[in-house]
Amino acid sequence: MELLQPDILLQLLIGGLLAGALYALLACGLNLVFGVMRVINLAHAELMLIGAFATWVLYNFFGLNPLVSALFIVPAVFVLGYYFQRVLIERVVDRPMLTSLLATYAVSIILINIGLLVFSADFRSVPALQGSFVFGNIAISEPRTIAGVVSVALTVGVYQFLERTRLGKAVRAVSEHAQVAGICGIDVRQIRMLAFGLASAMAAAAGVMLSIIYSFWPGSGVDFIQKCFAIIIIGGMGNFVGALYGGILLGVVESFVGAFISTQWGEAMAYLLLVTVLLIRPTGLKGAPRG
Amino acid sequence: MASSGNGRPIRGIWPGALLLLLALLAPLALNQYYQSFLLQVFIAIALAQAWNLISGMTGYVSFGHAAFFGVGAYVGALFLTWGVPWWFAVFSGAAIAALLAVPLGMLTLRLRGPYFAIAMLGLNEVGRIMATLWVSVTGGGSGITLSPKLLPSLGVEYFSALVLAFGATLLVARIYRSRFGLELRAIREDEEAAEMMGVNTTLNKVIVFVLSALIPGAVGAVYAMYTTYIDPDSAFAGARNIEMIVMVLFGGSGTVWGPLIGAGLIMIMREMLWAQFPAAHLALLGVLLLVVVLYLPGGVVSLARRQRYLRPDARKSGEAPPP
Repeated sequence: MELLQPDILLQLLIGGLLAGALYALLACGLNLVFGVMRVINLAHAELMLIGAFATWVLYNFFGLNPLVSALFIVPAVFVLGYYFQRVLIERVVDRPMLTSLLATYAVSIILINIGLLVFSADFRSVPALQGSFVFGNIAISEPRTIAGVVSVALTVGVYQFLERTRLGKAVRAVSEHAQVAGICGIDVRQIRMLAFGLASAMAAAAGVMLSIIYSFWPGSGVDFIQKCFAIIIIGGMGNFVGALYGGILLGVVESFVGAFISTQWGEAMAYLLLVTVLLIRPTGLKGAPRG
Repeated sequence: MASSGNGRPIRGIWPGALLLLLALLAPLALNQYYQSFLLQVFIAIALAQAWNLISGMTGYVSFGHAAFFGVGAYVGALFLTWGVPWWFAVFSGAAIAALLAVPLGMLTLRLRGPYFAIAMLGLNEVGRIMATLWVSVTGGGSGITLSPKLLPSLGVEYFSALVLAFGATLLVARIYRSRFGLELRAIREDEEAAEMMGVNTTLNKVIVFVLSALIPGAVGAVYAMYTTYIDPDSAFAGARNIEMIVMVLFGGSGTVWGPLIGAGLIMIMREMLWAQFPAAHLALLGVLLLVVVLYLPGGVVSLARRQRYLRPDARKSGEAPPP
């Protein structure tokens, strides 16, 4: 078996880690929102696509480098998410989960179809970065490396923000118990807006990174949200670090299965992992049982 | 409590009977175009009632229910090409869709919370991809064409769709008034309390889930006969998946009449919009869904009969309404 050479295995591992980092960035945002307000944002992948299409527009019409446009897009989507929370999600936070699921589902339908009206169903890509880094016998494509490293940096950055800062502590307090956090003087509404803005910004950053390595169309969100759910169930719902591990695990598994069996089976791994975890440990690898 | 509702006159039996009579007589007066349209409305009603069974009654949202329709369409079409009678193809579509629902339901419904919704989210998409890749059975992207020789007339298809729509509505009405229906609604309102009262929640959820997969299975097979051609994109259409949900919520989820009214209204809107602007149609459905979820959780039905629909059972059986 010629695939079983150390070089190739290492290459697959690195490829999987880099892809997993992007998944982790996306899934951590989704899990942050779930943790803070028990809302599953079905439009999360569409927020990612807003980032991807914004990158495409800036690159196509203004020739802007995706890494530069990220500096505009990510803060803009943060603001969008912040007010989106205030206008819409805040109304459904305290209602049954059914309500918030359906509301965000509606938002995703609206965004996908506006995307189809504006950008049509063609696949787009942003071929701004080319080439690859070569170390000895290992070659890694440059855009993938950049996307993976930026994703890790952002995820770890947000984690540090949550762990180290006073504001991050407030976010964690609200996700632990919103009512008690409110009694302790934390402005829960404000924290929710911050959390949703942060999650949206993470999704948009993932979108920028996505745009330089994959081609995408307005309907691409389905594949990604699917993987995100697998990841957050594997890692434990509401658990930020769990989503990080879950994302990287999924990336690596996909990479190996894709190489050894077939790409289609690689794509199916998200579902298989999801089913396995649901059977064995429904609360996820790092999740505590919740009522 | 066990026999709650039995023996009471069924509310809405006269309008129901009148509608049924009109639908039965309609083919005499209408041309092919309107017969076709009505047939599609019946299909929509049956699908909406199926979604209503699982999601309206128990509150477990199924985001991929159209997958069972696709399975039924493929099973029906395959059986027809093998030369079985059309009614047997319809039964097979229903049976296989229901069989698939058993392990799926047992896996995802024993958990509380959003797991079910998440697991169902991609199901229709998974079905579409499988139908595309499994070329030896499904013909892949080129689909299955049914020769007209194998098929019954439009009249037979019209009446089978009518029977399915009527049957699904009747099933919802029966369940709504039964102890089983009461238990399902107890699950929706407070699953933990329901369990405490001795409701076998998982079993109930799986049973109603299988019932709600059976109907789309049969409807899919009728649809395959009606269109004479299916491919992965038409059998597992994402738009149908969305429409099923919006129809029920727009009409009134968890009620008997809501899905019927919702399906009728959405089908009329679709007939006027779909051909020209499919994306605009779906975006509009999204807006409609959002507005209903935020401002009219009970749907159109609750507008019409707000007072009587709030707690009909509690009032009639003399219980104290919840605080």
